[in-house]
Amino acid sequence: MNPPLIETRALTLVAAGRVLVRSLDWRAAIGERWCVIGRNAAGKSSLLRALAGVGDAALQRGGPVSWLGRVVADWPAADAAAVRAFLPQQASDRFPATVQRLLELSVVQPRHEAAATLAALDAVALGGRNVLELSGGERQRVALAQCAVQGAPLLLLDEPVAFQDPAHQLQVARWLETLRDHALVISAHDVNWIARAATHVLALLPDGHCEQGSAAEMLDADRLQRVYGCDWRAVEGDAGRVWVAQ
Amino acid sequence: MPGSNPRPTWLAAALVTATLVVLTLSLLLGSAGLDIELIRSLRAPRVAAAAGVGALLAQSGLAMQALLRNPLADPYVLGTSGGAAVGALLALMFGVAMAFGAAAGALAAGALLVLLARRALAASDDASPRLILSGAMLAAVFGALATLLLTLTPDQQLRGAIFWLVGDLSGADHAGSTLIAAVLFMLALLARHRAIDRLLLGSEAAHLLGEPVRRLRLELLVCASLAAGLAVASAGAIGFVGLVVPQALRLAGVQRTCELAWLAPVGGAGLLMAADLVSRSVASPVELPVGAVMALIGAPVFIFFLARGGR
Repeated sequence: MNPPLIETRALTLVAAGRVLVRSLDWRAAIGERWCVIGRNAAGKSSLLRALAGVGDAALQRGGPVSWLGRVVADWPAADAAAVRAFLPQQASDRFPATVQRLLELSVVQPRHEAAATLAALDAVALGGRNVLELSGGERQRVALAQCAVQGAPLLLLDEPVAFQDPAHQLQVARWLETLRDHALVISAHDVNWIARAATHVLALLPDGHCEQGSAAEMLDADRLQRVYGCDWRAVEGDAGRVWVAQ
Repeated sequence: MPGSNPRPTWLAAALVTATLVVLTLSLLLGSAGLDIELIRSLRAPRVAAAAGVGALLAQSGLAMQALLRNPLADPYVLGTSGGAAVGALLALMFGVAMAFGAAAGALAAGALLVLLARRALAASDDASPRLILSGAMLAAVFGALATLLLTLTPDQQLRGAIFWLVGDLSGADHAGSTLIAAVLFMLALLARHRAIDRLLLGSEAAHLLGEPVRRLRLELLVCASLAAGLAVASAGAIGFVGLVVPQALRLAGVQRTCELAWLAPVGGAGLLMAADLVSRSVASPVELPVGAVMALIGAPVFIFFLARGGR
């Protein structure tokens, strides 16, 4: 078995007196693609930020998060950059820069070619563009490329397909599958996209309890009902199983 | 289109040429015509002071823009120059070296601004208008303090209100030290150019890429404040050079700090020498305060960039 790249022991997250995550014991290894699911405000972003080491420490209780067996707070910033990359929900650009320049600045450890990454994300044509002029979806794909070229094995992606059209959602899912020497933790809402992209699922329930397991065993109508509070039906068709909320 | 030309060498060549042309014209033109002795003893020191002060102000603006992550930041608009003026006036009253007072006042004003802007800086949303307004109020307070200090001390040694409130090069001194300081600040910015470029992506983005954000910000604060302080000690509170020069360069496609770090001081030197040339030629033999000329150029540019949404 691969050693865990990231691990939490009894991690608890609290916000405004509400427990978002209750005593989470969890680990992820290279080759795994975890999707975090939960309702709006369930704490997906807070959890990803805590896992990335940029969470609000005041919200964090209980056990530490560790990367490669070392507690996150003990990592110097420069070393941490070589271990984890984090995609925030939205980039906030204020200064002009070409996409190419952005990618150059994002390299911490050479691992992925910028050109190949842009090609895989249908972003080659964006290379010479000014980031201030990109659409939301384009900027998000560039941000994904930035995370990849950083060269860290652990990628924490907060809603990487929130602004993508269906074709690009599919393209991002395919690209994520090629990142086999990484551990991925992704938050997303589209159950059918998750069924395609994830190997594992971590579900945040409204009371803060967490359930985890392989994507195949985690995605069932009963659990989805408890996570989202609405009924689900699996429709079997030529293209495989499709989940429909009711 | 900004960003389509990442290595604008033609621009660098044009800027250096223009600055050299302005330098030559500034030395040759004047009410007394061509007189070698006059050029050496009067015009050269003044032109050198204009170049040094212009370079320092452009660098101060560049550092403040990175520190506050706001392309509209300028030491005059955000009160740093005002703080330097108050510090210098207090130093003169208490018999301390004026440059120390100006540097301390600029540092205090800069630190106060960062403190006021702390929440705006932490938030990822675009808090530019709030930041600019806080700075403008700081500038108003320091302007009022400088006026009060000038009114309360009718000392013949003190230079007039025009010098401290809008800046004036007619009696500028310390030309040598401003030029040396400009070179030192340029080297300091060049040594950190990649870290500064990453900081422009956002403090969290820079931290995630492994940059020591706190230390970098502190260094930028010291750099921006000292540069503004020295400029004010030499020529009073001249505004908008720090805004106009880096913004114009960005608009022309220069994006990297490794290029801005030397192009901005060259451009700042050229711009202020040109403004000084205008201010002493337009109504010759009467000399207009160069700060007023700069404000007439700079304020409309500021409004233009503000209307474009801070880009």
